[in-house]
Amino acid sequence: MNSKRSYNIALLVFTLPTLLFFTVIVVYPILQTFQKSFFDWDGLSTPSFIGFDNYVRLLDDDDFWVSLKNGLIFALVLVVYQIGLGTLLAIALSTKSLRGRKFFRTSYFVPVVLSGVVVSQLWIAIYNADGGLINSLFHLFGIQYEQAWLSGEHTSIWAIAFSGAWHHLGIQLVLIYTAIKSIPEQLYEAATIDGAPFWKMHWKITIPLLSETYKFCLVIAITGGLNAFQNMFVMTNGGPGNISYTLTFMMYKAAFRSGEYGYGSAAAAVLVLECLIFTILINKFIAREKISY
Amino acid sequence: MFKRLASRALTYGPLSFFLLVSLYPLVWLLFYSFKDNEEIFSTNVFGIPNEWRWENYSNAFGVFDIVAYFKNSLIVSIGTVIFTVILALMFSYAAARMRWRFANASRIYMTSGMFIPMQIILIPLLILVRDMHLQNSYFAVIVPYVAFQLSFATIIFYAFFRSLPYEIEESAAIDGASIYTTFFRIMVPLVKPAIASVSIFVFLFAWNEFLVALIMISDNALKTLPLGLLYFQTQFGSDWGAMGAVMVISTIPTILVYLLFSEQIEKALTVSSAVKG
Repeated sequence: MNSKRSYNIALLVFTLPTLLFFTVIVVYPILQTFQKSFFDWDGLSTPSFIGFDNYVRLLDDDDFWVSLKNGLIFALVLVVYQIGLGTLLAIALSTKSLRGRKFFRTSYFVPVVLSGVVVSQLWIAIYNADGGLINSLFHLFGIQYEQAWLSGEHTSIWAIAFSGAWHHLGIQLVLIYTAIKSIPEQLYEAATIDGAPFWKMHWKITIPLLSETYKFCLVIAITGGLNAFQNMFVMTNGGPGNISYTLTFMMYKAAFRSGEYGYGSAAAAVLVLECLIFTILINKFIAREKISY
Repeated sequence: MFKRLASRALTYGPLSFFLLVSLYPLVWLLFYSFKDNEEIFSTNVFGIPNEWRWENYSNAFGVFDIVAYFKNSLIVSIGTVIFTVILALMFSYAAARMRWRFANASRIYMTSGMFIPMQIILIPLLILVRDMHLQNSYFAVIVPYVAFQLSFATIIFYAFFRSLPYEIEESAAIDGASIYTTFFRIMVPLVKPAIASVSIFVFLFAWNEFLVALIMISDNALKTLPLGLLYFQTQFGSDWGAMGAVMVISTIPTILVYLLFSEQIEKALTVSSAVKG
């Protein structure tokens, strides 16, 4: 009896601090965000309930639609560059006869460990309209083409998103590469005997077997794109005008610059819903059966 | 023969091209941290500096209190690692090895944090930190960092604790060891590799984190490196060489950490991806 009690006490000692801490710092504030999105609130005085007014105002706000579009573009760029290109590179890296595999893998991963601020500042210089790396490359190859990448209406968000994709390519590459490595060798042997060409073999065998991994990769790439903030904050400050806004940027501006905490909460709440919808869609449409070897 | 050459070229060609895309910007940064504006943007854009201008670095040290930012980042990162590891180890042990009704439910509850972006809770968090009088202390950032890294750490530790044989605790119990002794003396040493992985990952996260630090820290004396960099950019942004020098200095620690521990980082990443989205 006594040992049963001490077992339960130990259980509380081990679990309660963590559960409590997580609930107070993460879960409770999420509920707060949703609740406060129905209030007019400056963060100091008593909030006053205004129903769906904040959401109605969002739908009327031009910034909101630009933010929504930019979040989707950011997510698209991450998916294509990190998962699309990542898959091709991972397949090439898993070629049996490849030399310097470790060197390649380590090098692709290096940008991941940089701080986002450094990456953004570096790409400001790369995109510099006046002699930056990219415009200089065009000149080097004799192409008279110049572009103000970060301030151009049609290039800004794409340029910012690419710097983000570049930053974290290594994470997705490692995930996809490890998954490919765990596919049993026999599957490929059979295909090689049948004389299947290299890329066809991977299209038919590798990619379908990666669906579990893709699910995870897609969730982090898409939610990462929708949540983007730091890149535009450092590179363009959301501008010129509002052309590089995202929902997080809107939330930041509303709450921490204009003191409209309720309106900012509404933007954050929309962001949660958006991420949730995509996560559910990804889980619904990819890998319905579980794969086991 | 020709076919083999072609297939080689098809493998090494793209691999090398994207290697260049990944690394050259960093090499370019290193080069331009030794150049002046004219060299960076017109006379010598691509290559090694004509003249190595070390004064960029001494200028950077002169106007940029890098030692203070370094110290702040180090305190915040190490504090985050310690609290995350302790809390997550204890919880994961209970979830993986002890028998109780909500073991599985509470584990899923904890891991759900993996999919919650930090910015969503920033507004209430700022109010919470203000109410707890934590602003203008390192805890203003350490507390949210720990809370958000707990999910990731729990996933890794849980997987490791599950992989250990159950006989360990049985024989410890026969020897009369209490749960606490078993945990601290036997189980924790067995998951040391996982502790290493988690520590490195959490360290890098805390070292590089920007948004929460931006909102929570206003006192200049507490600012971490990313905030310091931003401040430097607004003050001396037109001196690209000095800017580059500051960026290089603040990046060196993380690249060293990565090169020393790349295996553990990759392992931690792949274990965490096994969680269901």
